[in-house]
Amino acid sequence: MNAGRGILAVAGFPLRRLLAPQRVILAALGAAFPAGVMLAVRRIAGDLDRDFAVVLLYALVPEALCMLGLLVTMCPAVADELERGTWQHVSVRPGGRRSLLLGTFLAAVTWTAAVALFALALALLAAGLPGSGRLAAVFAALIVVSCVGRAALFSLPAVIVPKRALVASVAAAFVVEYLAGFLPAVVNQLTVSLRLRSLLVRWMGWERALPAELQLLIDTQPTWVHIMAVVALASVMLFAAGVILARRQFPPAEEA
Amino acid sequence: MIRLEHATKLYGTVIGVNDLTVELGPGAHGLLGPNGAGKTTLLGLITGQLRPTMGRVTIFGERPFGNPRVLARIGYCPAADLLERRATPREWVTYLVRLAGRDRHTAVRAATAALERVGLGEAADRPLVTLSKGMRQRTKLAGAIAHDPDLLVLDEPFVGLDPVARHDLVTLVRGWTTSRSLLVASHLLHEIEALDAGLAVILGGRLVASGDVDEIHALVDCLPAEVRLEADRPRRLAEIACTSGLADGLRFEGPAGLAIATHDPRALAAALAAAAVAEGITIMSLAAGDRSLEGVFDRLVQLHRGIGSGAGPRPAAPAGLAAEAAR
Repeated sequence: MNAGRGILAVAGFPLRRLLAPQRVILAALGAAFPAGVMLAVRRIAGDLDRDFAVVLLYALVPEALCMLGLLVTMCPAVADELERGTWQHVSVRPGGRRSLLLGTFLAAVTWTAAVALFALALALLAAGLPGSGRLAAVFAALIVVSCVGRAALFSLPAVIVPKRALVASVAAAFVVEYLAGFLPAVVNQLTVSLRLRSLLVRWMGWERALPAELQLLIDTQPTWVHIMAVVALASVMLFAAGVILARRQFPPAEEA
Repeated sequence: MIRLEHATKLYGTVIGVNDLTVELGPGAHGLLGPNGAGKTTLLGLITGQLRPTMGRVTIFGERPFGNPRVLARIGYCPAADLLERRATPREWVTYLVRLAGRDRHTAVRAATAALERVGLGEAADRPLVTLSKGMRQRTKLAGAIAHDPDLLVLDEPFVGLDPVARHDLVTLVRGWTTSRSLLVASHLLHEIEALDAGLAVILGGRLVASGDVDEIHALVDCLPAEVRLEADRPRRLAEIACTSGLADGLRFEGPAGLAIATHDPRALAAALAAAAVAEGITIMSLAAGDRSLEGVFDRLVQLHRGIGSGAGPRPAAPAGLAAEAAR
């Protein structure tokens, strides 16, 4: 109960920071980008092929936009506190470190998912695809899965190398999500990108139509397995980040 | 209440706190030391932000690092300025109280009471970025006391405050010590003096003296001050100083310089001036050493490092002082 209060208290703070006018304008620009791409493609190619539009939408929203949003919101979890001189205030509270991590995670997921859902709505309008209601539901679920999994992934660099978290997170995203994630081996089971692709294929009903070589890049297990896998991955990564943060010490000179 | 046994904190090869053993009971305590002495590191160990590399730190009988039972009983006001910009003092203090595990309504009530207590009631809803440094300092203090801790730890709490705000804060903190414990770190003796606190002097990460204010003053008094002069006949002035009985020690500095350690710099200066007039000695400069706390720090640093004792004897530490400087 007490832990929940602390987490909610922390989540409110970064969310308030993210609601600063400059941040909102940047988020709105980011959200408009997928719609802009859709409009540009439509202008060049005429009416969009539905499957192509879905793949493009997938690349732009649950992948690119969510990744960027989480890089901006999750990576500075600890670095921001050190820079603002607030780390000492938070770390001397009982459960303050855990609340900081989980509260920032909650704020990052909430903010990024909200921006991505807005971007999705704009992009679907711009694409003018039939059956947009179902597509919206599929992509909304993918956005949530992407945000939860990737925010947990970025929590590790945020606590291990707070002052280089952005660079480390980009490297982690590249190596884990786009290198290991595309390897047709057991290691890709530990990535969020495999789960997202597999869910997209399943929910779009593309399993049988997919060429054999692309079948290697997905997992045909049921939906609940993918969801549970992402939840398990996120839990393990957040737990590891929590343990690391609980043991972190920052000499006074490193603060502020 | 606070117990450190051979506590050492290393940052790589840099020593933050060096083999420090001290026990502080309930009540008010001041931690004195110049900048870089290790005060903030010591407070970091006490408030559970840092773990000792060697030795043991216990607060209320338990290790503080990562221990929610201990942390719940500590209120900490760090020295670093609060750079949170958009939040108001009320939001900030409420946030900290909620982090201590209180529900929202209790936290708002506690924050409001704490802000009233530090005199920030009217500015409680202005963004922190619009407040003066003194007001932000009060906000930090409100954040430290709002959850009603048993031990309040303040790191340089009076920095940046005008005299009125300083007086108000001293009054507030003195009121706090009537029922609970307080540890204040500062590099200014008079700030600690105003709190009627016991004192511990730290230098180079080591405890060099401890006692009450009177004992520290006795240390100041027993430390010889240094009178430095430049004259055309320094050897003759050295003879005069030695025969006057006022010099505890002396050394020559170059062909014209002379440094004399004395417990009565005013009388020595008068004696030297009179002799200079009588014998036609030209004194180019004459300056008495600093006997303020900074001067004492300088002297203790020299003694701590085993240098600078040529111009006088080591201080005879009054009873009750740790006087580890001689180690």
